[in-house]
Amino acid sequence: MLKIEGLSKSYNKGEIKAVDNISLEVKKGEIFGFLGPNGAGKTTTIKMIVGLLKPDEGEVVLDGINVWDEPMKAKERISYVPDNPEIYDRLSGVEYLNFIGDMYGIRTEVRIKKIDYYSEIFKINDSLGDIISSYSHGMKQKLVLTAALMTDPDLFILDEPMVGLDPKSSFNLKEIMREMCDEGKSVFFSTHVMEVAEKLCDRIAIINNGKIIAMGSMEELRRSAKEKESLENIFLELTDNE
Amino acid sequence: MNRKLVSLIKTDLNITFGLSSLAYNIRKGKRIVPMAIIALAVLSLFPSYIFVVRALGSFYDAFRQIGQQSFFLHVGFMSAQLIVLVFGFMYVMSKYYFSNDLPHLVPLPIKPSHIIGSKFVSLMVSEYLTSLPIILPFIIIYGTRGNEGITYWLISILAVITLPLLPLVISSILIMIFMKYTNIKGKKDLIRTISAVVFIALIIFVQLKLNQWTTQSIIDSEDFMFNLARDANLLLTSAGIMYPPAMWGALALSKGFSVQGVFNLFLFIGSGLVGFALMMILAEKIFFDGLIGNIEVSASKGRGKKLDSSSVLKTGNPIITMAKKEILMIIKTPVYLMNSVGGVVILPILLVISMVTGGESYEPMKEMILQSREILILGSIGAIGSFGVLNALGATTFSREGTNMWIQRTLPIDPRVQVIGRTLPSVALQVVGGVLLIGGIFFIVPLKIFEIIIILVLGITASVPLTMIGMTIDIIRPMLEWTNPQQAMKQNLNVLISMAIGTLFMVGAAFLGYLLLPDYGLFVVLGLFVIIIVLSTVFIYKLLVNLVKTKFMDME
Repeated sequence: MLKIEGLSKSYNKGEIKAVDNISLEVKKGEIFGFLGPNGAGKTTTIKMIVGLLKPDEGEVVLDGINVWDEPMKAKERISYVPDNPEIYDRLSGVEYLNFIGDMYGIRTEVRIKKIDYYSEIFKINDSLGDIISSYSHGMKQKLVLTAALMTDPDLFILDEPMVGLDPKSSFNLKEIMREMCDEGKSVFFSTHVMEVAEKLCDRIAIINNGKIIAMGSMEELRRSAKEKESLENIFLELTDNE
Repeated sequence: MNRKLVSLIKTDLNITFGLSSLAYNIRKGKRIVPMAIIALAVLSLFPSYIFVVRALGSFYDAFRQIGQQSFFLHVGFMSAQLIVLVFGFMYVMSKYYFSNDLPHLVPLPIKPSHIIGSKFVSLMVSEYLTSLPIILPFIIIYGTRGNEGITYWLISILAVITLPLLPLVISSILIMIFMKYTNIKGKKDLIRTISAVVFIALIIFVQLKLNQWTTQSIIDSEDFMFNLARDANLLLTSAGIMYPPAMWGALALSKGFSVQGVFNLFLFIGSGLVGFALMMILAEKIFFDGLIGNIEVSASKGRGKKLDSSSVLKTGNPIITMAKKEILMIIKTPVYLMNSVGGVVILPILLVISMVTGGESYEPMKEMILQSREILILGSIGAIGSFGVLNALGATTFSREGTNMWIQRTLPIDPRVQVIGRTLPSVALQVVGGVLLIGGIFFIVPLKIFEIIIILVLGITASVPLTMIGMTIDIIRPMLEWTNPQQAMKQNLNVLISMAIGTLFMVGAAFLGYLLLPDYGLFVVLGLFVIIIVLSTVFIYKLLVNLVKTKFMDME
């Protein structure tokens, strides 16, 4: 589904290597967790996948489509939820959803069905007529999630999706992610919450100082670590050694 | 001074003028080329500035010949303070009530007057950028041509420093009162925007009316010539009734180190300081009243009415949806609405007001217009076309996205949708401006139907390439990091640059018209304009589509 090869990005004229020659593959029907401490390069990598940051080197390919050569084709199949839900404060929830729907060309019936479904799950259906500036951080996050899920993406990319969500919505989101993968779609997300990654992900990559230091299923990661109890221990051991 | 206040002032100055980010960019060698281009663009304005200053010199000579040179200074003080006042209303409104830092400042243990005080200082600095280019030529011309001594120059430094104080205090006080009493739940933004436009129109009306009365009363006076010869400050004191502080400033400088001079200097600075103290007291009492409703997280706790999704969720054409989103954002953001609509609506309003209040003094102008209908038609087309840059919508369309830009860049939006969808709101505004302008022209001379059609159709289409020029500048250097929507619109150099390029474009077209009109007539010139408009639209459109495509990928 998603193939990243030799991806690099540096800042300050090459002084700081934010992402250093990383390669990974997210398979069809897979939930892929992207872990790393603050400033490890998670968001930079995600931004290069979704078209927000141009890589210095390497390529991002989605089912044979080079994301940077054919951005329109790629974007039609990707939905992205950023870590900070900065959205048009002055629009109402419905106006925002209609905007996103029109840009993806989603038919009215599909739009109604999807929005009714996801807004009910995230409990924002009663607020959709309100102006977004009146939403709390969590509600904005849920609106962005609803908009992203409405597009029925083949690849769902989320940057720290659990931050700001209440436990119930967090649980529901995990369920949705699993359902999506059962339908043959893929999910790629970054997180700080080890438990989520441990329980939810089919495969995990740990990034530190811009480099992938470990990648594989939970089992594979356990095999390669001394402290085998939990992902948290593995994570601490690997990132401390760097 | 209070340490909290000093810290607030330092931080606000830093945020407002982006000092830390500027230092960072210079240190890292970033954005040096764009900064050099801006510096060049600003420098390129100098020749026209020098030209205006020279013209002012002859203005001074004219007053000197009738012994009324103090009036020259008055005009300088009056113009500078009036412009500070008018800009002040908009700056104060957005700075005090719509800055993004307010939700962070309000919960901190800071007095309301300290918040206002710190923001006031930043505004003073911003206003120097407006007031200095206006007042300095007046002061320098008066000083050098009149061979004024050292006292004049010393007093003028004091006067220049304190010049924006009083007008800014007046606008601060009026806006604080205005915001307190318009803090009405519901259609708050709309109420405020409409009242603000009415308020500004009213000020212009009163100003023009007063101007007319005073001029008339001075000239009508039987002993006018005698008084003029007898009293070197006659014009100054008569006109000074309208707005005494400008008169105090002018008298402080022209009378120098005399009792009258010192007294007027005292009045000039003292009135500002007293006003400032009053503003601080008022800030303590009413600032939060107007503000809290503005930043409070209002109703949405999920208690709203459930929407009937089938009636509100509808599929639309992406271009129309993009245009609708832009229009909604403009309408719902008072700063955007005032600046864009203001630029387009003010000209027709001024035309009507000056015709209504001007009386006989505008007769020669009417005569001139009546004599050359061709110039009237071409001029009106030019005016409507110029709204394309004056409304600032094109030149800020990408900048206004700010931190929301990620949405536009991650959605599968065709660059053509971006370009056309973002041009339409500006065109829609030109339709409004065009109709108002036609209405304004009717006050001078009735127009025939075909003339109206020509003016509207050509004017509006001419505004398309001009809007796109603004968009081109904005996509090349979008200003996405702002804390206050005012910065995206009013403090965005893209507007200035697009105005400069737009003016060149229009001057070129006007020059062609001027050359061809006497020999070939109106319709040939109009035909030529159509060709220019179509060709430039196609060219800029293609350029813009490519730029959107590449810049959306390259932005960081």
